[in-house]
Amino acid sequence: MSPVSKLDEQAALVMPDRGRAALNALVTGLACIAAALLVHFVVGSMVGPFVTRIMLDAGVMIILAVSLNIVNGFTGQFSIGHAGFMAVGAYVAAGITYYSSLALFGSYQAQTGLISVGSLIFAASALVGGLAAAGAGWVVGLPSLRLRGDYLAIVTLGFGEIVRVLLQQSNPQLFSWDETRAASLKELVPPPLGGAQGFQSIPTYTSLFWVALFVAITLVFCFRLKRSSEGRAMLSIREDEIAAQAMGVNITNLKVRAFMFASFFAGVGGALYAHQLGTALRPTDAGFARSFEILIAVVLGGLGSISGAALAAVLLTVASALMIELGPWRMVLYALALILIMIFRPGGLFGVKEAWEVFGGLWRRKAVAR
Amino acid sequence: MGDLLQTLITVISVGSLYALIALGYTMVYGILKFINFAHSDVVVIGAWTSFTTAAVLLPRLGVTPTEAPWWAAAGVLMLAMVVCGLVGFCVERFAYRPLRGAPRLNVLITAIGVSLFFQNFGQLKYEVLKPDGPGKPAMSLPFGAQPQGMPRLVGSRALNDATVSRGTLAGVDGAVVRLSEGVSLEERRQYSIRVTPAGAPRAIEAMVVAPAGRYEPGQDLRVGFMPAGAAPGSAYALVRSARVPIQLVDVAIVATAGLLMVLLQLLVYRTKFGMAMRAVSFNTTTASLMGVAVNRVISLTFVLGTSLAAAAGFLYSLKYVTLQQTAHQGWVLLGLKAFVAAVVGGIGNIQGAVLGGFLIAFVEQFGARYISSDLRDVYVFGVLILVLLLRPTGILGSTVREKV
Amino acid sequence: MSRPILDIEKIAIAFGGLKAVQDFTLRLPTGGLYGLIGPNGAGKTTVFNLLTGVYTPQAGTIAVDGTRVEGTRPHEIAAQGLSRTFQNIRLFGLLSVVDNVMLGCHVRGRHGLAGTILHSPRHVAQERAMRRRAMELLSLFDLASAAGEQAKNLSYGDQRRVEICRALATEPKVLLLDEPAAGMNPQEKKELQALIRSLRDRFGVSILLIEHDMGVVMDICERITVLDYGETIAEGTPTEIQRNPKVIEAYLGTEAA
Ligand SMILES: Nc1ncnc2c1ncn2[C@@H]1O[C@H](COP(=O)(O)OP(=O)(O)OP(=O)(O)O)[C@@H](O)[C@H]1O
Ligand SMILES: [Mg+2]
Repeated sequence: MSPVSKLDEQAALVMPDRGRAALNALVTGLACIAAALLVHFVVGSMVGPFVTRIMLDAGVMIILAVSLNIVNGFTGQFSIGHAGFMAVGAYVAAGITYYSSLALFGSYQAQTGLISVGSLIFAASALVGGLAAAGAGWVVGLPSLRLRGDYLAIVTLGFGEIVRVLLQQSNPQLFSWDETRAASLKELVPPPLGGAQGFQSIPTYTSLFWVALFVAITLVFCFRLKRSSEGRAMLSIREDEIAAQAMGVNITNLKVRAFMFASFFAGVGGALYAHQLGTALRPTDAGFARSFEILIAVVLGGLGSISGAALAAVLLTVASALMIELGPWRMVLYALALILIMIFRPGGLFGVKEAWEVFGGLWRRKAVAR
Repeated sequence: MGDLLQTLITVISVGSLYALIALGYTMVYGILKFINFAHSDVVVIGAWTSFTTAAVLLPRLGVTPTEAPWWAAAGVLMLAMVVCGLVGFCVERFAYRPLRGAPRLNVLITAIGVSLFFQNFGQLKYEVLKPDGPGKPAMSLPFGAQPQGMPRLVGSRALNDATVSRGTLAGVDGAVVRLSEGVSLEERRQYSIRVTPAGAPRAIEAMVVAPAGRYEPGQDLRVGFMPAGAAPGSAYALVRSARVPIQLVDVAIVATAGLLMVLLQLLVYRTKFGMAMRAVSFNTTTASLMGVAVNRVISLTFVLGTSLAAAAGFLYSLKYVTLQQTAHQGWVLLGLKAFVAAVVGGIGNIQGAVLGGFLIAFVEQFGARYISSDLRDVYVFGVLILVLLLRPTGILGSTVREKV
Repeated sequence: MSRPILDIEKIAIAFGGLKAVQDFTLRLPTGGLYGLIGPNGAGKTTVFNLLTGVYTPQAGTIAVDGTRVEGTRPHEIAAQGLSRTFQNIRLFGLLSVVDNVMLGCHVRGRHGLAGTILHSPRHVAQERAMRRRAMELLSLFDLASAAGEQAKNLSYGDQRRVEICRALATEPKVLLLDEPAAGMNPQEKKELQALIRSLRDRFGVSILLIEHDMGVVMDICERITVLDYGETIAEGTPTEIQRNPKVIEAYLGTEAA
């Protein structure tokens, strides 16, 4: 006479029908694309190049901050080498588009048009870059996640620095397909990614459309993750590892997964960054300075809050663009503001909550009653 | 063989710098359990304060930096330590103390904020003292964005060079000198000539570039460039460079660092304050219940750590005389390596920091010399990751099991 | 006699020189409600930590429903059907109460990345089922109205009950309760007693209980094991235990002769 049935029995009772589920997935996908098109054509036509540039930067920063939030905010780990993963994605993706452009189109100029062979190669390269970064995340995460707190932080920092130095050791860039075909093995291993000089002339495929699309995908991914059983398990690790384990959460496995998800999106963000107008990738992009920027956005938004991380990413990008006029005082004030915020608003903007949970307590109660 | 010894000397010298800086990281971690990312910036402030004192203040006191007696150098060091101790005190009091008990990530970000503040504040430049005649440059605060050359407070000379002959110059003619005594120059050795012009306090030095062989008195001997001041009749000494030169700077570094480390050891293990410090590091709550003034101990720990960092900055600038601006990559890497040393040795453990400092210097210098100099940072971080995987709390660190 | 649901055979652990638990043996039959008592520092919580894999026993064996679990990782033990509460409450403080309980369901669920992100029917159904089950459990403990609160904001007694809910959500075969009545007032204790008794009937779960309140233990436990300095000094029915001179001595200390 047990009034509480087992999970499987319950689940069988409430199974939604397949058609509606498929429709739901389709609608979500189309909504992402529609939003991206809207941003690209409508918003893009209303603003000038300066604002466009800020929007692109902000979008990339959203992806980086929201993804780092999976590790630092959800699972409560302490990664401070996110830029290392970003750089892996950036270099892999840039290497693919640059050399395939040389091979296919005979020049590193980007093809025009929203959807072209070149831009599809770019989108694919972003995914490959993300996968490469996720692979790196797996390599770093698997052995090092048994380290606690600060020690993990140190390893991730070390990882970023190692990526930086290794990128410095890459071969000089090759500037034509003939040159590339004629290159000896020694010029190709390590890959010709520009070494300390940086990787230049990357085709500029990053547009508002692609940035908005990937931002949308990242956000949907993170929100759905956070509100799923797996996401709760991640949050429980952050709250109390021992209790989480005792309740059957495989914490090592989840930490590695969180690490890989985060690295994947960092890699995608890196790819978008690499293909922006006027960007030359530099090994220092993998260094701690950039990692810190991303980390700051996450903490400022409130650890665990996706909307917080996204909002903080935008705020920081805009603020730093506006503060350029302050010259050398810019970073001094930025640093002071950071310290003051940490002292007077230690939970960040929203704490662990999402923006609407903070602003609308009503909504939350309704959600629970459901 | 010579190569090996030379590398070892560098290891000891650089290692003691790493150790000095690592001590600061380790003491703060031991007591507050957080990584003070701003520690490396205190090293930079120490170096730049030393520069300002040596290049701007010493001349105004009538001391020519390059001819400064040892106590002037000691004075520069003291001042740097005092300034940085003050900086450390303020940082703890105004940035870290309000966050005591806050989540670790917050404290970490604050430390990064403090670090960013110093890096960028240090690059500002406002003139506070006008130039005042030759050799008395303007004084600007903070330090500006241009690299500067630290005056050589400690002469660049090896202690184990052998003087093979002395006499007076018979003649000087640009890049040729004629000696009053006969000399034989051996194969594959380097020689230099030190000439002391009449009435000058210090010798000027030139490389001998003449081929090996016997040179009779009065015979032409080619040198690099002989600076003005040398004249027939000036006293000279012909010096054969040691195969493995032991630089005075390195000796000064190792001696000063060693002295400071011994003093610290005595302070921590032989004094009441040291006992309080260890108590706080073991368990802050219990210590305060036992009547230890926790806040005072923490303040003093910061002051200690930062003044050691200042000493490291000073010594570093003696060895590597080009000072880069405060946000330069090189500084950050110096700090990171020292930090790695602290972690590898077992963060929170004082002996560990010293051990780690030398270990990291060893790996870095030998890797750079015998494998590839480009990858020197990779060795350091590689060792870090390796050690952490094998012994997650560092070589001398102790494990704490969480009680459930 | 049928196979015990929890079969503990001579487990032991020492921390440095301190023998925290020695040769601890206990057989909990299916549907049993047994007690574990002893003075402070006797090693009771350490027994729970050994059972749930927080510490690995240095000797001895543990079997849950016939499956050996000693030396496996905590989450695997939980999946085998051993769940617990903590003496010093370990809820996920910033998560809502219902999320805490839903987390308990995690171990019984099936998880796939694609399903989670694309909201596959199975995933949606599972999420709904988890929420329903969590709410049902909470109602059972009169906690449904607090479902949306952050767990850290609840009163001490409520937090203890949420912990029991969370443990039950894992569908355990054996439930380990570490001082569930600590910090409760007499009225709450009475209710808790009734509740614990009803758990075994409603959920078919067997219970091992650590409790300092003798009234509670003697009232609800069928058999009691007494630990002192890591050693088992007595085992028997409540009446036997109450009369046992060794137990009295352990609790009151030896009279100075
Ligand atoms: N991780 C550990 N490291 C060292 N000693 C430990 C550890 N865990 C427990 N102990 C020691 O083992 C002994 C038993 O502790 P335990 O917590 O099991 O006692 P208990 O019977 O639960 O006491 P209480 O009634 O106070 O909860 C104690 O002396 C305790 O200090
Ligand atoms: Mg206990």
